[in-house]
Amino acid sequence: MRTEDLIAQLARDVAPVRRLPSPGTLVARWLLVTLPVLAAVVLMMGPRPDIADLLVQPRFMLAEGLAAATTVVSAYAAFCAGRPDQPAWKLFLPVAAFLVWLAELGRQCFVLSVQTNGAALVLHADWLCVPAITMTALVPAAAMVWLLRRSAKFRPTHACLCGTMAAAAAAELVLPLFHAADTMMMVLVWQMGSVALFTMLGALAAKLGLNSLG
Amino acid sequence: MAAAQAGDQRAYAALLTEALPWLRRRARARWPGSSTADIEDMVQETLLALHQSRHLYDPARPVQPFLFGILKLRGAEIRRRRQRHAGHETALEDMPADTSALMTHGTQEHDAEQAGLQKALASLGERDRHVLGLLKIRQLSLKEATTETGMSVAALKVASFRAVQRLKQALKGGADEN
Repeated sequence: MRTEDLIAQLARDVAPVRRLPSPGTLVARWLLVTLPVLAAVVLMMGPRPDIADLLVQPRFMLAEGLAAATTVVSAYAAFCAGRPDQPAWKLFLPVAAFLVWLAELGRQCFVLSVQTNGAALVLHADWLCVPAITMTALVPAAAMVWLLRRSAKFRPTHACLCGTMAAAAAAELVLPLFHAADTMMMVLVWQMGSVALFTMLGALAAKLGLNSLG
Repeated sequence: MAAAQAGDQRAYAALLTEALPWLRRRARARWPGSSTADIEDMVQETLLALHQSRHLYDPARPVQPFLFGILKLRGAEIRRRRQRHAGHETALEDMPADTSALMTHGTQEHDAEQAGLQKALASLGERDRHVLGLLKIRQLSLKEATTETGMSVAALKVASFRAVQRLKQALKGGADEN
């Protein structure tokens, strides 16, 4: 088919379309769904008894702040990924945020292990983390797929990876509020491992979900 | 573009027509090694993708980065697809036309020869076909053939020689026709 004929046909077929809100607005909508769900999960599971003490600890609040930053940055990157005029560097923002978060947790783990003569490095099985992260992240991930269905027209794999990373980071943000990890190593391996696992598997499922939503 | 989002056909046609040479230019500049057909494929894919993602355009932003973004993503996709397929393809330019690599199945060459031979045999006279049938196909001896035809051995030899000559001529003629 000649390109000029294609243009004539496309112009004949043009119908009014509803503009998609900006990535920032979509992040706000996603948070509007996600935050009440996260609050409900914390209330349902019952907050930790020592939560008041934790909330004034700079170490804990810094880790929580980085988790929140990863959540928001990943959600923003997911909504940018599907837009052709958004630069590629924005898609790598979640990686940077996740690495900073991981580095801070690693630093805390190292400092605590020195202070406690290696007690912070003790590691044993904590199978609760995997289902806790998965169940908490499920609704945010579903909301993300729903909001991405119209915007992920380009780079859908990036959009799904960033979207599930946002959901997993949101789950990890609230997990320490109702589930106490015994050592920092447990946080690094089990909790962050669960985040990485959910991101990988979730991205795959999200892509399938997006394809079926069309 | 904002008018196209509202369904204005004329504005949309004007935008696409104006964008066409610009898209071709940008595609050629970005992928100078691509053929004209590939460049046109990339431009057409870009136009189709633009049509399907009109709702993603923000009228507060310029349209050129939006269009160029689509061209970059779709163009890269087409090039990846071409490179993937290139691994399963064989260039035919440097091959002789009669190479068996061009055959679609193993017996094709044999089948083609047999068809040519049958055509050449059909072009011979009744007597030549009979003589060749006895001596070359049924492979009877001259003595056995004499009893079937009533001809002498010498006459059979001459008839057989002439039939073979005429068959060769017919085959050569068939080859010339091809």
